[in-house]
Amino acid sequence: MKVASSFTRWFAVVLFGLLLGGAVQAQGNLEVNTPAIATLKQSMQQRHARLAPLYASGAVGLAADGSVALRDAGSVPLAQRGQVNGLIAAENADRAALYREIARANGHPEWESDVRRTFAQRWIDRAQPGWWVQKSGAWVRK
Amino acid sequence: MVWLVLGLLLSALWAGGTWGVQRLALTIGSISNPSISARGVQVRFEHGGGALLAADALRLGGRSWSRLALRCARARLEASVFHCSDGRVAFAGKGLPLTMALEVDLGTGAARAAAGFDGGGRIEVVLAGGGDVRLHATRLAVRDLRRVASLLWEGGLVQFDALDPDGLLDGQLIWSPEAASAKLSATLSEGAFGSADGLLAGEALGLVLNAEASRRDGGWQWQADARWDAGAAYVHPLYLEAGPALQASGVFAAGRLEVRRATARLDGVREVSASGSFDLNAGRAERLLVRFDGVDLAVAGPRWIAPLVLPAQVDRLVFSGSVSAAVEVRGGGLHALDVAFDAAGFGLRGAAGGAGLALGPLAGEAAWSRSRPTRMRVRAEGGRWEKLTLGAFELDARIEAERVAFARTVVPLLDGAVVIEDLVLAREAGHWEGRGGVVVEPVSMRALTEALDLPVMTGVLSAALPGVRASPGAIELEGALVISVFDGYLQATGLRVLEPFGVASHLSADIEARHIDLAQLTETFSFGSMSGFVDADLRGLELARWQPVAFDARIASSAGQYPRRISQRAVQNISALGGAGAVAALQRGLLGLFESFGYREVGLRCALRDGVCMMDGIEGARRADGGFPIVRGGGVPALDVIGYNRRVDWDELVDRLQRVIAENVSPELR
Amino acid sequence: MNAASRFLLVSALAVSVTACVTINIYFPAAAAEKAADRIIDEVWQLRDAAPDAPAAPAAADAQGETK
Repeated sequence: MKVASSFTRWFAVVLFGLLLGGAVQAQGNLEVNTPAIATLKQSMQQRHARLAPLYASGAVGLAADGSVALRDAGSVPLAQRGQVNGLIAAENADRAALYREIARANGHPEWESDVRRTFAQRWIDRAQPGWWVQKSGAWVRK
Repeated sequence: MVWLVLGLLLSALWAGGTWGVQRLALTIGSISNPSISARGVQVRFEHGGGALLAADALRLGGRSWSRLALRCARARLEASVFHCSDGRVAFAGKGLPLTMALEVDLGTGAARAAAGFDGGGRIEVVLAGGGDVRLHATRLAVRDLRRVASLLWEGGLVQFDALDPDGLLDGQLIWSPEAASAKLSATLSEGAFGSADGLLAGEALGLVLNAEASRRDGGWQWQADARWDAGAAYVHPLYLEAGPALQASGVFAAGRLEVRRATARLDGVREVSASGSFDLNAGRAERLLVRFDGVDLAVAGPRWIAPLVLPAQVDRLVFSGSVSAAVEVRGGGLHALDVAFDAAGFGLRGAAGGAGLALGPLAGEAAWSRSRPTRMRVRAEGGRWEKLTLGAFELDARIEAERVAFARTVVPLLDGAVVIEDLVLAREAGHWEGRGGVVVEPVSMRALTEALDLPVMTGVLSAALPGVRASPGAIELEGALVISVFDGYLQATGLRVLEPFGVASHLSADIEARHIDLAQLTETFSFGSMSGFVDADLRGLELARWQPVAFDARIASSAGQYPRRISQRAVQNISALGGAGAVAALQRGLLGLFESFGYREVGLRCALRDGVCMMDGIEGARRADGGFPIVRGGGVPALDVIGYNRRVDWDELVDRLQRVIAENVSPELR
Repeated sequence: MNAASRFLLVSALAVSVTACVTINIYFPAAAAEKAADRIIDEVWQLRDAAPDAPAAPAAADAQGETK
């Protein structure tokens, strides 16, 4: 009985240690340095040169779901609206891939929606003054 | 015929005003003819030549108004004809932004009205005694027309407000109530429209419309032809330019527009025909059937199909050949789609600039219907995936709403085949998922390596991947791909293609190689010569654009009894890979004396992360000086190859390996 | 050890086991925010901060030795 109870105590200590370890790990950094994430970042960075004026003009806004959306195509010349739509679709494909890759790189594919939500908030929080962002369903100008 | 004037009551009275002004007032009572009727009509001539024409109620073309007033700056009554010029019109106290001239024959009911809009346009209406109405418009601004309409009746042309249409109208409308027919010819110039979000818009539009209608059997039988000859439009996500022309005929009754037959001329399409019915009050198509015959994909593909289907990949999609299609819309939504392929080709260029995937020419038919299962039977004469040419194959699938089940498909690949079994594509939770199995029937490595421009190898490649799952972010292939090569085999498991269609597409797998004959391997890659066998494991291999970006590799001599020798050239090459720095003169001299050396074992480990290969040698063999043995000598003469640099830049390593192989350079020994 | 304390210990164990599981599926929101900020900086080029790539490895050098 004595042996058994000291064993259980030891076991509890080990478990508690594991628990702390898990907690510490959970507070650590998120892995974002994979080749796929680097490629996506580079692709998005290159595209940003073409998207930035569209954010500034309000043609494209930062949506609440972590994507970008055609908000007011009226400020884009008619012949270029299709291209802007393509640009948005390509950006959103990269963003979706980025969120999936980050979740995957950290061994938790199920985190995709959490990653997306976090990014959605940060894109919006860090948008430049004058850009349009979506808050509780409505577009507002920062 | 005179449609007169019921109870014409003319009472003229002189009224003495306080200022001594005399006025004449005529109370006409009511006027009626099939086009127009008015109640409580009176004309009052005022001092100074002006007049007020007023009616308590007016009915025209199914609409009625109250308190109509036309105040004329100059007016006169000659015989039975009332003349008015510089008139301003008001309805229920609201003035219209136009100046009007009017002549009414009070005897016959014939009238002529000309309105000059403050914006510059003119509209002239002639009401013949027989009831015919002739309307003529000159540079009439659509915006003015909408403004007047909104004053004339509640809401005006509210159904168009969302599109904010503008432009200048010229044209003529003849309406003959007796013959129950109408004829319209109109042109629109400088036309424009635009929704608030910019998703529907047109600029500098020019349209020509001719239409005729006659009333029969309780409805209007109509026919029309329209031509769009200037400007451009954006109908999200399509950009359209002037050129299309349309001819149509049908019936209009009780708010429903029936199109019996319409044909259109569209760039890149041999013939477009349509029929359908529209609920104009609800503003939607109840039923619409459109046939596109002879669609030239090279023209229509990039313009119409790519923006609708894959907007993100518009630049990467390639089209050729032609298709014919029938589209059926019911209750405002897509109901059925039939497509016939005629030498059609589709391709998706690689994101990184590679050849990508191409299929075609395709022949056959595919159908989809919301209400019943359909079938797709398409024969592909061939295809291409990167550098590999695919043979002819048949695609046979059953399509049910949002589920496509393919029959067994055999795609010839070089001298073998890729067999796709039980493939089912289904839309789940808003995105497409695929499930099925893939078997690769043996493909010779000779053919494969030749096709891929790799050094020729012998052996065969085959695969059994019974559990293939595809989702937008990943294609997972459960099972194994086996290559028998160099007297041993190489097996890949845990195959996953991640982000298959994006820029960051990458492949991951675990590879296990056993009993690889070094003699064949070194000969194939012109790497000097080595005899013996090795086993290798690549765990967590990740390839991006076919280049490895991560793995944990381990190569070690296979167990067993076999001759183990390494040539001088191979030793030099192995050393060269590490940068031929530290070779002692003594050893160099020794090396020069012999053609080949015996060895006991070889071992090399490399963990690739972030472009750096962390190297290690034979397992368990450590040296006090920090070096790690890669080749441990045995027999006479014996030779050790020892590595010292554990951090090696991967790109540089590959570069050196390629140089060694390509130039087969003798590494410089100092 | 009486029954009560054993019961306590067992419950504590049970709690820590489940807690452990909870921790493992817990999304590290703060870390994710930091990671998002770093990526946003790069994509939007908000700072010309040096990319946090690891120092380029010294070019592979002299590590072959024969004897």
